[in-house]
Amino acid sequence: MTQHTHTALNAASSTNPVLSVVSLSKSFGNLQVLDNISISVERGKTVCLLGPSGSGKSTLLRCINWLECPDSGHVLLDGKHIGVTSGGVVMDAHELALIRTRIGMVFQHFALWPHLTVLQNVMEAPVQVQRRRREQVCEEAEQLLRRVGLFDKKDVFPARLSGGQKQRVGIARAMAMKPTLLLFDEPTSALDPELVGEVLAVMRDLAAEGMTMVVVTHEMDFARDAASQVVFIDRGAVVETGSPDAFFNNPVTDRAQQFLMRFAKSLS
Amino acid sequence: MIHDFSIVWAERNLLISGLMTTVLLSFLAATGSLMLGALLSTALVRKVGVASVAARAFADAMRCTPFLLFAYLIYFGLPSLGVRFDGWWAGAVALTAYHSAYMGEVLRATWVAQPPAPLEAGHAFGFTGFRLFRRIVLPPLIFSSAPVVGNQVIQIVKDSAFLTVIALPELTHAASSIQSRHYVPFAAFIAAVLLYWAICLTIEMGVGVVGRMAESRR
Amino acid sequence: MSLADMLTILSATTATLLLSVTGILLGLPIGLGLALVRWARVPLANQFVRACVSLLRATPLVTLVLLLFFALPNAGIAVGPIAAAVIALTLNTSAFNCEIWRAALIDFPKDQLEAAQSVGMRRLTYLHRIVLPQIARSSLPALISEMSQVIKVTPVLAVVGVVEITRAAVRVGAETFEPLPPFLFALAIYLPIIYALLRLQRRFELNAEMPA
Repeated sequence: MTQHTHTALNAASSTNPVLSVVSLSKSFGNLQVLDNISISVERGKTVCLLGPSGSGKSTLLRCINWLECPDSGHVLLDGKHIGVTSGGVVMDAHELALIRTRIGMVFQHFALWPHLTVLQNVMEAPVQVQRRRREQVCEEAEQLLRRVGLFDKKDVFPARLSGGQKQRVGIARAMAMKPTLLLFDEPTSALDPELVGEVLAVMRDLAAEGMTMVVVTHEMDFARDAASQVVFIDRGAVVETGSPDAFFNNPVTDRAQQFLMRFAKSLS
Repeated sequence: MIHDFSIVWAERNLLISGLMTTVLLSFLAATGSLMLGALLSTALVRKVGVASVAARAFADAMRCTPFLLFAYLIYFGLPSLGVRFDGWWAGAVALTAYHSAYMGEVLRATWVAQPPAPLEAGHAFGFTGFRLFRRIVLPPLIFSSAPVVGNQVIQIVKDSAFLTVIALPELTHAASSIQSRHYVPFAAFIAAVLLYWAICLTIEMGVGVVGRMAESRR
Repeated sequence: MSLADMLTILSATTATLLLSVTGILLGLPIGLGLALVRWARVPLANQFVRACVSLLRATPLVTLVLLLFFALPNAGIAVGPIAAAVIALTLNTSAFNCEIWRAALIDFPKDQLEAAQSVGMRRLTYLHRIVLPQIARSSLPALISEMSQVIKVTPVLAVVGVVEITRAAVRVGAETFEPLPPFLFALAIYLPIIYALLRLQRRFELNAEMPA
């Protein structure tokens, strides 16, 4: 199925949210990181999670595919529970793995598999986990690498790539799973400034094509241009949410205003 | 002196037979202990649980036991409990069991030194259980641990020599036998020493090859 | 196994400990000396030491002690079992210690040498007061591991007739036709000694990981 057909089908069923996070709470020891937090992501939308360091945005993201286990609350993908079933029973590893194949993740520190070439990295999970045919996966993987501009590096090992190149491979790797939802955990925070642009360009393209994305980022320009919705999180709770226009030009709450002022100051 | 070496040369079949036994025994013990060690390391990396405690107890026990005493226990002691091995198999079992503890420890130490991000990506992409271990955890582990594993294999080769005391016909035993029959101690044992050296240099070359593969991925 | 048998095995502990301690005490400085020869790149000596260390590390102790015990008298040097055992043990552990010291010397930060040179410190003083104390501390876990290895190889010295713990246990087993109890008793003697060294090694490993 091509990317465009995928998008058209997505547009047809826009009423039920792809992702529902309901009343998630989590503490690490005495520290309350997530405080009864809820968000919802519609199909084809790009949601940016913004907030100061330590606000819990990364933890929230990692709770979505259950890399962190919340203490209470629910996470639903297309109406199906993740991690804990509706009856409150912890899912077994196999079930959880099955659901995770529908969620793609791009990591702050790339997390590419060092013993595999770029092409092998992109092909590994579709072949090994989704059990798809190798020839078909290879074609699609090469196509994805062309899209992110790294086809000529397909037989290179990750250690030989720049940060920006590694992250673009990471995005191709996530896309190869044909996920329902893509999660980005501060994808450009570990990059040298001049390499940030190439990664954001790929992400903008994906957003424009109607990929459902949840992005934790400090890149305000990206949030302003590419997001459908901005969720401002502080101290584990949603402080303010709205369209990027509304948030950046007319922040309602004090804390949002302070945050944006601090950000504006660091620019000038 | 030259005459001594010519005597050793005349007996080369015995020496080569001993060499072959050493190589075969070491190879079996190396592969066996590596596989068992890999299994053991999965228990050793856990911090809690019965498996982790049992594995740690076994690893510590082997590290505190002299190998020859352990070999004696297997060869002389086990028959009291009804388990009887012939010399060759007692040696193989002793070498494998003893060194699986060291291999396990070596692999554990390398495992915890691995960067966590690629493993987390493995989880996020739906890898679990054996598939996760074999395709995501193991390959980088092999590349990182190759030098230390190589050292352990050399240690296995040297410990195999100790089995001469239970009359296992390996290289040192062959050299001893030539020495005692022809009174050419220097020539016989130097020949053995040079052959051990050759084995170790071969192992180090193998480690070097893996090291170069690791370098291209580093 | 009678009390007398147990005492026989226990009394052999002296031999084990004496041999081990001698090997360890001789092997540490000799190993350091060899490492320094390689580090200073003394011409000819460097290559010679490199070859010897490589050879000694590849040679099983049993083969080495047999070689010394039988070959040296042929060359006119009279050696008894104890002498052959001590020489073999010392050569063996010196070679391993050489590599341990050498690894620490290689890892030693070069900027400290530059700092010492810039204040006009002589090389020997630099070695003695700056390098040695630091590498002694960082090599400690590996050196202790090698010490426990020395104890673990002593049973093999019985091939030249040295009666240490394991050989004593073998004898008792052969006389009583009950091999298991004396072996377990021997194990009970070795375990606490080696385990104490293991604990010591782990403590120094943890200390090394903590920030200075």
